[in-house]
Amino acid sequence: AMVGQDAMAVELKASHQFPGGKGDVRDEMVQIIAREVAAANVGLDIKVYPGASLVKANEQWQAMLKGQIDITAFPLDYASGRHPEFGATLMPGLVKSHEHAARLNGSPFMQEIKKVIEDAGVIVLADAWLAGAFGSKEKCILEPADVQGLKARSAGATFAEMWAGAGASIVSIPSNEVYNALQTGVANATDTSTGSFVSFRLYEQLSCVTAPGDNALWFMYEPVLMSKRSFERLTKPQQEALMKASKKSEEYFASESKKLDDKMIEAFEKNNVKVVTMSDKQAAAWREVAKKTSYKTFSEKVKNGGKLIDMALSVE
Amino acid sequence: MSELSIGLLIGLVTVLFLATGMPVAFALGLVTVVFLVIFDGFYALQFLADTMFGGLNDFTLVSIPMFVLMGAAVASSRAGSDLYEALNRWFHRVPGSLVISNLGACALFSAMTGSSPATCAAIGKMGIPEMRRRGYSADLATGAIAAGGTLGILIPPSVTMILYGIASETSIGRLFLAGVLPGIMLTSLFMIWAWFLCWKRGEGMSAAGQSYSFKEKIESLPKIGPFLLIIVGVIYAMYGGLATPSEAAGVGALLCLIMVVVIYKIWRPGDMWHILRDTTRESVMIMMIIGTSVLFSYMLSSLYVTQSIAEYIGALEINRWVLLFFVNILLLVAGCFLPPAAIILMTTPILLPIIVNAGFDPIWFGVILTINMELGLITPPVGLNLFVINGIVPDVRLPVILKGALPFMLCMVVAIIILCIFPEIATWLPDTLMGG
Amino acid sequence: MDVYVRAVAALSRACGVAAALMILMAVLIVCQMIFVRTVLQESAIWQSEFVTFILVAATFMGSPYVLLTRGHVNVDLLPLYLPHKARIWLALLASSLALIFCAVLLWDSVVWWLEAYEGNWLTSSIWRARLWIYYAAMPIGFGVLTLQYIADIYCLATGRDMPFGMTPETRL
Ligand code: NA
Ligand code: NA
Repeated sequence: AMVGQDAMAVELKASHQFPGGKGDVRDEMVQIIAREVAAANVGLDIKVYPGASLVKANEQWQAMLKGQIDITAFPLDYASGRHPEFGATLMPGLVKSHEHAARLNGSPFMQEIKKVIEDAGVIVLADAWLAGAFGSKEKCILEPADVQGLKARSAGATFAEMWAGAGASIVSIPSNEVYNALQTGVANATDTSTGSFVSFRLYEQLSCVTAPGDNALWFMYEPVLMSKRSFERLTKPQQEALMKASKKSEEYFASESKKLDDKMIEAFEKNNVKVVTMSDKQAAAWREVAKKTSYKTFSEKVKNGGKLIDMALSVE
Repeated sequence: MSELSIGLLIGLVTVLFLATGMPVAFALGLVTVVFLVIFDGFYALQFLADTMFGGLNDFTLVSIPMFVLMGAAVASSRAGSDLYEALNRWFHRVPGSLVISNLGACALFSAMTGSSPATCAAIGKMGIPEMRRRGYSADLATGAIAAGGTLGILIPPSVTMILYGIASETSIGRLFLAGVLPGIMLTSLFMIWAWFLCWKRGEGMSAAGQSYSFKEKIESLPKIGPFLLIIVGVIYAMYGGLATPSEAAGVGALLCLIMVVVIYKIWRPGDMWHILRDTTRESVMIMMIIGTSVLFSYMLSSLYVTQSIAEYIGALEINRWVLLFFVNILLLVAGCFLPPAAIILMTTPILLPIIVNAGFDPIWFGVILTINMELGLITPPVGLNLFVINGIVPDVRLPVILKGALPFMLCMVVAIIILCIFPEIATWLPDTLMGG
Repeated sequence: MDVYVRAVAALSRACGVAAALMILMAVLIVCQMIFVRTVLQESAIWQSEFVTFILVAATFMGSPYVLLTRGHVNVDLLPLYLPHKARIWLALLASSLALIFCAVLLWDSVVWWLEAYEGNWLTSSIWRARLWIYYAAMPIGFGVLTLQYIADIYCLATGRDMPFGMTPETRL
């Protein structure tokens, strides 16, 4: 009873775009934080709005800054229109594997990114890097030459540039029409996260998929974020409980992230889709293409862009 | 105050605001403003602009003005009457042939536009006066067009299905295919009723004296050629790898513009402006309602009303068919007062999880929902098709139109029942063509 | 005041023409995109984003014109039942309520537009377009809509316009 009324009054809104209550890893990350905080009994209640049921996916960053929501599991690149530096968190070839991603989190590169996040008034509660894959209806995509003449739909601007640099033509289609587009032939290749490859049932349309393996090109930073203003409004015990819960959520993600890739491989193999991975040499060839396309544009258009990429590439 | 009672209060205030006669779009927006201010404070208002803009900023919505433009372009020409005239040369021996031909023309026209009022206007503008001139009673002539016009949203393409596809995250291509057979079925039910009524009343028999030679019949065919070409063109664009369903609308709109310019010689700036003006009026009206429904849904979600209602109904443990019955009643009542866009965007987030949990197919439900929306287009006080018919024949009073339309509305109810018994009528085509 | 009414009507019409042209432009661009992709086999990057934006713009810009021409659907059951005098009062109430909403959104969208302008927000697509140009359609649309409602209320109050476009004889 001593917790008092002011503590009871704190209710936070957490929003994300992923399906709720169906075991999606990113939904689970947010749910874990909500559950743990509730169990800590510090008078903090987190309401989760999954599936973009409150704020549209792309608007979440802005919504958090304005105080419309407090917490979000958010693909950081979505805010690259506001902070071009974030483009580096969906940049081909910067992250090679989940182990590499873990090392990257503490690197100067990520410190630089997190500084931009913090300067914008946001703090990172839990880190999360999701791996992605390339898929094609034609032949397997291993070398840049393999995409010559393909019509590719890409999840992000930086990848689109690399595809185009390797000789593919780019089609821009909303994510919910990708299945259709692949089926009718509007597009015949695509890249996205391994989770989306499964949830959009792309194994029904593709003939070959390039899984992340040890030489992945596709990684995206999708951390759980919180508005600094909302965080500072909490009491000390509430802040501590929240940070502790976030730690748990991050650990959960670390143990699950690779399983997402395995799930994709399993689903695709079950549907007789060929699953391949890139060799060191093949991935390096792609990085060469990226150097001339996405890296180059990024260095030109973003202040410090070249430095950011070099910092990321230097992480072993 | 519990979320459910807040929800009830919101419903009450919405009805009050709507009753003042203010535009539906602004009424939904104002309810949002009022409840956000009361429960979240004035600061919550600052989120409205980007929420509304974000809701409309969706490529899938692009097809709406384009499918409306297809209708407006063709409606500005004589194409509508060419269509039923050609059909009539083939059917003229059948009792009620002209009504049946008009219904057939509505169905064909529906395959070109996503909007019901456009279908109604295009066929009804010449069709209703022609039917009355040839001795059909006003109630049958207007009722048939009011109902036939609603096929515009069931037979693909369909604005309603696009909105449902967005709200439910189901494939629009699949939804379109699911509407084909139910659309044909409903058209047949309409025709059977028209035939039966004319046979019983002996109506429109005087026109049967007119007979057409086989040559005249063949000569009428080229007139429906352009229609068929456009329909085939859009279908090819959509399912042949050229374009997504949203993009195919652009192809269709361009083809229709070209058709009215080349074949019907409508090219003067004044004529063009009429087409564009009608398109702008209808699509802005729909899009504005979409925009403020997004605000309305945001408010419901933010106050946790949507989630609580869904949880409440989900916990009711009632038979799934009883559940579906009540959902239909809800949609029917909503359909009386609100246009389809508002209903779909407001109810889908609440209804869909419940429907799916009860074991119903979301694509199939999209078809059921659409037929409910068709009913709503005819029921007063807000029935877009009634407004259109009133514009065509101001001398026919509303009760007369309703009397004629009522049996056709019963046909829709029958169609819903048939679809409940044989859901395959909706799901077979998409499953066969696109894989289960 | 008559000058005001005429000027606002002209402004609404101009916005309507702009909206109509934007819809036409959207059709042409979609077809151009399909042509580029399928016939030329080249990348189509800016089209879908641009088309989406101009149709959102057309919605906001077209809205005052649709109000001017009574195209926004409403529920006119109660107005039809009421006698003419009461109908005028109801129309005044309805228009004032709608005016409140439009004014709130006008204020809101101006603030939002300024933020986008000062922050130089860009789209996160490969095209990196400047957002304040697109966002401008919203304050313009709601601005003219607000002016149009003020004109409507004035015309209602002075008997220049019939409430809900119904003559005293119109009854259910
Ligand atoms: Na249609
Ligand atoms: Na109705």
